[in-house]
Amino acid sequence: MKPLTRKLFRDLRRLRLQAIAAGIVLGCGIAIFVMSIGTYGSLESARDNYYREARMADLATSLVRAPEGIAASLALIPGVSAIETRAAGFGLINLPQVDEPVTAQLLSLPADRRPLVNDLSLREGRWPESNRANEALVNEAFAAAHGIKPGDHISILIRGERRQLTAVGIASSPEFVFVVAPGSILPEPDRFGILWMNRDTLMRALDLEGAFNDVVIRVASEADRPRVIAALDERLGRYGSRGVYGQDRMLSARYLTDELSQLKTLASVLPPIFLLVAMFLIHSVLSRLVGMEKSNIGLLKSFGYRNWDIGWHYAQFSLVFSVIGVVFGIFLGNLIGTYMTGVYREVYHFPILDFQAGLSTYLGATAVGVIAGLLGAVGAVREATRLAPIVALSPPTPTAFRRLNSWVERRAKSLSLRWRMVVRRLLHFPRRSAMTVIGIALALALLIMSEHFPIAVNRLIDLNFGTAQRMHATLTLSEQRSDIVLREIARLPGVILVEPVRVADVFFSHEHRHEREAIIGLPRGAALNRLVESNRDVVEPAEKGLTLSTSLARKLGVRVGDQIRVQATDGPRALVEVKVSRIVSPFLGGSAYMDQAELGRLLREPSRVGGAHVIIDSTQRQALNERLKQIPAIVGVAYTDNFQIALEKLFREGVGFFSNMFLFFSLSMAAGVAFSAARITIGEQERDLATLRVLGYKRRSISMLPLGEMTVLLVLAIPTGLLLGAALSNWMMHQFETDLFSFPLIFDSRAYARSALFVAAAVLAATFWARQSIDRMQLVAALKAHE
Amino acid sequence: MNPARGSVFTLQKLCKSYGTGPATVHALRGLHLEIDRGELLVLLGPSGSGKSTLLNILGGLDRPTSGAARFGDLDLATADDDTLTEYRRRHVGFVFQFYNLIASLTARENVELVSQISDDPMSPDEALRLVGLTERTTHFPAQLSGGEQQRVAIARAIVKRPTVLLCDEPTGALDVATGVKVLESLLHINETIGTTTLLITHNADIARIGDRVVHFADGSIRTVEANTRRVAPSQVRW
Repeated sequence: MKPLTRKLFRDLRRLRLQAIAAGIVLGCGIAIFVMSIGTYGSLESARDNYYREARMADLATSLVRAPEGIAASLALIPGVSAIETRAAGFGLINLPQVDEPVTAQLLSLPADRRPLVNDLSLREGRWPESNRANEALVNEAFAAAHGIKPGDHISILIRGERRQLTAVGIASSPEFVFVVAPGSILPEPDRFGILWMNRDTLMRALDLEGAFNDVVIRVASEADRPRVIAALDERLGRYGSRGVYGQDRMLSARYLTDELSQLKTLASVLPPIFLLVAMFLIHSVLSRLVGMEKSNIGLLKSFGYRNWDIGWHYAQFSLVFSVIGVVFGIFLGNLIGTYMTGVYREVYHFPILDFQAGLSTYLGATAVGVIAGLLGAVGAVREATRLAPIVALSPPTPTAFRRLNSWVERRAKSLSLRWRMVVRRLLHFPRRSAMTVIGIALALALLIMSEHFPIAVNRLIDLNFGTAQRMHATLTLSEQRSDIVLREIARLPGVILVEPVRVADVFFSHEHRHEREAIIGLPRGAALNRLVESNRDVVEPAEKGLTLSTSLARKLGVRVGDQIRVQATDGPRALVEVKVSRIVSPFLGGSAYMDQAELGRLLREPSRVGGAHVIIDSTQRQALNERLKQIPAIVGVAYTDNFQIALEKLFREGVGFFSNMFLFFSLSMAAGVAFSAARITIGEQERDLATLRVLGYKRRSISMLPLGEMTVLLVLAIPTGLLLGAALSNWMMHQFETDLFSFPLIFDSRAYARSALFVAAAVLAATFWARQSIDRMQLVAALKAHE
Repeated sequence: MNPARGSVFTLQKLCKSYGTGPATVHALRGLHLEIDRGELLVLLGPSGSGKSTLLNILGGLDRPTSGAARFGDLDLATADDDTLTEYRRRHVGFVFQFYNLIASLTARENVELVSQISDDPMSPDEALRLVGLTERTTHFPAQLSGGEQQRVAIARAIVKRPTVLLCDEPTGALDVATGVKVLESLLHINETIGTTTLLITHNADIARIGDRVVHFADGSIRTVEANTRRVAPSQVRW
């Protein structure tokens, strides 16, 4: 073994704790990298494979009724590679063990063949026989939620007619990877199911013999998509098509896309923070080492070692730190990724979803780790190679402290000598002090960010259920009806208050921009469903004209006072020009609002409602449920409390784990930075500390030097971290915002204080640990040691 | 523990060894010595002969393996850590070859470091004056010459009016002229405040400034000779 290699191993043994600290911080960054890139890749490839194998629709639309005969001509449109016409509707399932009626989305299966588009994968049982009218397939999540097995019977109410279906198989579909009821934002597998039924049976039940009301289309990859959509719209328009749309408006596909983009954000924002801090740690450790070994380096050079040999020697240290970080990071990243994928498996129903980071991710992680390590070593390596051999022969010189500016010196006079030492050191090494402050502040900022997320979600939930959506339940009608129905709903058992639900799906156009969105019609003085802005203000939509969300206004490039074109997608398909009267920032839900009466007039459908929000007498809930199970016109009953429970459960599963993970990461970072800084300051001052001991100072009183230094840095780091944390949290929440919801701006002082306390504890614990070396200090040896 | 007139230190069968088994190094092999109050004792001998080990034991920085080293009635061999710290604080002044000044404190502050924790110190300025440093007291060590740094170190050592001053090659890193100044400072202090001074050196000529010279070799005291004619530092040849 070469002497320098032997020196490397011996030095590493001495520096092992600092190597581990730097390795852990680096490893945390690599773990997040591996976890997020790996999960992203696993989710994306699961989606792409599934979409490809099961022939996921590229386009879809629903219509009122189109004759089956036109299907063939649709298939001939250039660019259309496959088409499947379907009957689609809703029914109410009556499950004996469930009080409330459960909504089912009903879809027809082609007779005697598999669907050409949105093919199903059979998980259990068999396909329905085309000659058996009442056989059906049930979606996996719903079957699992209710323990439905092949052979079980399901009682369902479709358009007033009760049917007994037999579930012959359990299936999953690319169309419902994320199973969420229309209008909802959360999967509630026990309250929403999908049934694939015999085509003739469903068509008869929906009064669609010889016709279809839903079509899903696959487009050839090279096709001109807008042209295909235009051609389809043109043919289907006359049959009441609501406009052909792409995967960006298919609920399940949209959720997956949002999830993937959030993972991407995670992968691009967090690892660099850890890598930066790890680089700083490596830089500090190696600079200190080179500083300590100046005379050795000079000596080696005077023996004839080349600069390259010396540089490589110190670079090898960083490689060892990198290896520790990479091994730890890949291990931890796999662990977290596997867990995360498990959480995703509960929510996203893929045939196969396993965490597979792939060789390229591991190679990438290794490259990132090694590069971060080498970059961290650059300063020290440069210093080592630049040292002249003569340094070995020069006598030791004390660190060149200078008087600080007179203002600081005057203040310093009032400090004790030991505090003067602390302050002068901190100011003498401003870059290092600043980096330590930033490292600790970043750890605090990360912790605040992780604490911020569940708090923001809780606030969102509170705001939503406390201020915005105050109904006990929302009833959805099978189709838009006259508002006379509200009077009937008011007569249902237990119903105390009724408010109409009116949502119109429209195309907005302004200049060359187009957006498809829903206008939510709110009655004047609405009490149950209210428009609440991110700042918690309850606002009314303007009496005349449109009220738009800021995000939709931005997409359309409109300002208050602009005229905007609105084309309804159903009913008489009114095409009107409307003035934008107001722009608001709703925290959850829709993008466009109007006064309900005004909306009806505008779309030439006055007094139409799609459902009702209700307040009920809770003692009558059972009776109401019994009655609702019998009403064919109502296809959806969503209780707010159930929704709230589902929401809380979803966040508990994901957020609880994330919070702990971040707590670990942040505290590792804070402790790593503090430990390294304390070790370096103790190491550099070893001779001073020994001198003080010789002069008669006690251990406890000299421990004050590193502790004081770290305390000052901590005191500076905490407010920095709090500000950084607030900024990072709000920026991150902004990244996580989707069209469906935005987060309110919040500042939770208790959470901030808790985070600061955690970080302070980690910093002080690490410093106390590093301080132990003062107890072990050999006075005589320390006095002899000189720089 | 302050010894009355007569002996400051009493050493009996003082041994110090490092390591175990065949690798044992015997740094001190059964020393006997009495050191009188106020005398200037020069410890002379080659490297590794045990001078520094003895100085470290007398300064309460190290403990003997066997035998006794008494400072008055305090047994330095058995005293606990806190007692030794207290002993150093009250009675001992150290001067090292490489000064060991705190780089982040000015000359005056380095002296204050000791005056602030002593019972009856002189003023830092007085201590600095005694070593001939009246200017540059607000300079940091890096801004001082080697001789100036060493004189600050001596001022720091004497400011508490120590009972003993232990100097480990105080002129080892200095040129002749500076070395002379430093020795003059030490002598001046020995004479004016009567501090018992132990001075380690390699230089046989320096030994001529002391009251007695202890010759070390291989961990043992070869001879102890009294100087009948002490010379002034300026007459020392280097």
